[in-house]
Amino acid sequence: MNSNSLISGTLANLVQADQFSLMNIPSMVIEFLALNSKPLLQVLLLPGLGFILGFAIFAVWFERKFLARAMLRVGPYYCGGRAGVLQVFADFLKLFMKEIIIPTAIDWPFFVAMPVFLSTIPSLALLLIPFASNWVLWDVGSLSLPMFFAIMGIAPLIPIFSGWASNNKYSFIGAWRVAYMYISGEIPLVICAAGVAIMAGSMDLVKIVEAQQNMWFAVPQFIGFILFFLGIFIESERTPFDIPVAEVELVFGWRTEYSGILFGFTMMAEYVLFQAWTLMFITLYLGGFNGPVLMGMPTASHIFWLLAKFFVLVVFIILLRCVFPRLRMDQMIKLGWKYMTPLALLNLFFVIVMKILGVV
Amino acid sequence: MREPMIEPDVMRISWGPQHPMSGQTRVLLDVDGEKVHRIIADLGFTHRGIEKILENRSFFSGIIPVDRMAMVDTANMSIGYVTAIEKAAGLEVPERAKWIRTLVCEMSRINSHLYAFGLQAESTGYFPAVFLWTTVDREVLLDLFEELTGARWSFNHFFPGGVHHDLPDGFADKVLKAVKYLRGRFKDYWDAMVENPLFENRCDGVAILKPKDALKLGATGPVLRGSGIDIDMRREEPYDAYGDLEWEVITEDACDVMARTKVRYHEIGQALNIMEQIAQSIPDGPVKGRVNAFMRVPEGEYISRVEAGRGELGFHLFTNGTGNPYRVKINSPTLRNMYVFERLAELNEVFVADIPVIINSIDPWYLDSDR
Amino acid sequence: MSKISAADFVKAFQKAHPEAVKSIESTDPRRADLVVNNESFIDAAKSLRDNFGLLMPVSGGAIDYPDDNRIQMIYYLMHPGSRFMLTYRVDLNRDEPKLPSLTQVWDAMSFHEREAHEMFGIEFDGHPNMIPFLLPPDWKGGHPLLKDFKGEGQQ
Repeated sequence: MNSNSLISGTLANLVQADQFSLMNIPSMVIEFLALNSKPLLQVLLLPGLGFILGFAIFAVWFERKFLARAMLRVGPYYCGGRAGVLQVFADFLKLFMKEIIIPTAIDWPFFVAMPVFLSTIPSLALLLIPFASNWVLWDVGSLSLPMFFAIMGIAPLIPIFSGWASNNKYSFIGAWRVAYMYISGEIPLVICAAGVAIMAGSMDLVKIVEAQQNMWFAVPQFIGFILFFLGIFIESERTPFDIPVAEVELVFGWRTEYSGILFGFTMMAEYVLFQAWTLMFITLYLGGFNGPVLMGMPTASHIFWLLAKFFVLVVFIILLRCVFPRLRMDQMIKLGWKYMTPLALLNLFFVIVMKILGVV
Repeated sequence: MREPMIEPDVMRISWGPQHPMSGQTRVLLDVDGEKVHRIIADLGFTHRGIEKILENRSFFSGIIPVDRMAMVDTANMSIGYVTAIEKAAGLEVPERAKWIRTLVCEMSRINSHLYAFGLQAESTGYFPAVFLWTTVDREVLLDLFEELTGARWSFNHFFPGGVHHDLPDGFADKVLKAVKYLRGRFKDYWDAMVENPLFENRCDGVAILKPKDALKLGATGPVLRGSGIDIDMRREEPYDAYGDLEWEVITEDACDVMARTKVRYHEIGQALNIMEQIAQSIPDGPVKGRVNAFMRVPEGEYISRVEAGRGELGFHLFTNGTGNPYRVKINSPTLRNMYVFERLAELNEVFVADIPVIINSIDPWYLDSDR
Repeated sequence: MSKISAADFVKAFQKAHPEAVKSIESTDPRRADLVVNNESFIDAAKSLRDNFGLLMPVSGGAIDYPDDNRIQMIYYLMHPGSRFMLTYRVDLNRDEPKLPSLTQVWDAMSFHEREAHEMFGIEFDGHPNMIPFLLPPDWKGGHPLLKDFKGEGQQ
């Protein structure tokens, strides 16, 4: 019996057996919870719903405060004490209660469905990331690396559909800017990930992390390290690559027509994508959950190290947002095709040479 | 609106008044992919009929609408009108009043250029960090204005014959302190913006305006000086104390957006120098000449040209012996520069992503193009 | 860029085009005023641009004299070398003000002619883009800067 299957055999047996009766339900529930405690914990808390939502809330608050300080402002100040910790909750509550304005001329099934997909499909990819050697929610073994890229390949389609469905010139321009950007930016990332897989000898994310116990892959594959770091920005549409949502040119790009909770979903989606790609970056290049064991609890200390690296990287990426202006579309395409793709191929070549020579 | 017809295969975007970055105007862009074929500027959203209003007001009360032609730059607007009236009426302005006027005009110029600088940064997507820094720094100047005149924005401090209030006690020291603070911040802007490689990426080589085209299309102000032509009304027709002070006309030769940004940047430096010179050596004396609030001016025509933050501002004043002007024609700098903006799409290859960058390098203020 | 003072310019222009000039004078070292006859309006303008180096268009406006029954259209030009300003004027009949457009000589006069058309009712022949400019799109009629303008839509 797979320890990760949520519907364990006990429940199925009980339902079919003669001993089924109403008096047995409490003990069935307790037995179910005890047997499946770990998957339930994973789904609800880490890396499931609790982690994703908690990070989204924390990241929004942190970004607003941090950027405000860089701009000589104070950020959220009144709601929830001087630190404004309840501001994000207040904003989400407000967005739930606002009217969703749907113009008549749009394609409304796509329009309404797309933000929901955009928040949930990257969460699916996030479930593949190993938080410890035995703490993977969706364990597909050696298909985990290609599965991540397969799921994330659907992610650019969603802004394109919503931009088209919005029936608005600004959204339309934002939609095909998304298409251009992802086409130029995704190919180098896949090539870099292939280099990592070759060096680790497997496409299973757990094995990739375990292969970095002596030396993080950032050191021999520093070109791939830098390219994948740029990839985090490109894939999650953060400054300096938030070209599809350039607020000063197109009112809000492909998100222009959204209002109410759909707008809330599009904002949250940015953070979910960001989370998924940063965790993948740490897994591939920064040693994943590797780190010295604290207090004799290997699983918990692995989770702690992953979260610590994640936190440091998040702060750094948010800092870069207030320092750099935005690239132009043709500069982005030039970057993707003229610089990133050849460098990624060079990286792959180095990795293959090093593997053949038996250096690493 | 009966606009020119759209060509086939081209999408017309209304970069319109409902937009985070357009200002109070609408710009129609004929776009094919990312490339802009044609720009049509649709002005007139803030037309208030100031030229007609001025015909019905006396000379003194006419300064109030003229002040409101540019909120960040009010002193330079009213100095033009006041100078024209003084030439018409043959009034003498006391020496100290001239120096105070120059001080206030230069502070307005810094105000206007800092605002333009901040908007330029915001338009490249530089999530409004630099714009908010400039807002904070402008507060220093606005506090000085409030202490001197009682109002932060559109103070009517000048009138034909002098200024309303003399400098309060200790004002010169405050000016020197403000100059020192702004000089420190000044260096930060250079490092954060002009030396930022991504900002250079967005601004170098964008929207090049050759000197010949700049003259032919009637550019003015930093747009003209960024193309290497040194025409500055403060030097050509010195008014107030500009003839007695030491300052330079700034030009740059690169002719692109970065050159205009650098021109504005160095003009802030020059203005700080002028402020320092004035605060240190302002002459004593009265500040109001012999004035009559309901003055009558003999018949004639007078043209005054001053250098506002955005370019050359002209007032052509026709008088007919009564207490109101007969006609006031205002030659606005933004109207000239918006024509240059329209023609830039034909002279260069312009992308949609460049439009906010270019429009903020031209630095339009639609209140004075629409009057 | 050549340098020619305003006074010399006045003399030179008077000598070169005596039949076009109605009156020309220079009251100030930086100003010159020129009133031309309607027939030689465009030719004199071309000569100003080509022979006398007045390359920079500054502005254009009009003024209404109901007592003389004329509207005077004024164009402001600048000489980039010596930096003096020339006001180039032409008198039009107040009942039917028509004028060939000066955009064929200086492109940038386009905006100013549109404004003069809206505010005074002057018809410009050959203007490339005569569409409403400053007044609102639902303007009910009337030319605001005329002296007998009573209000929007009232004549």
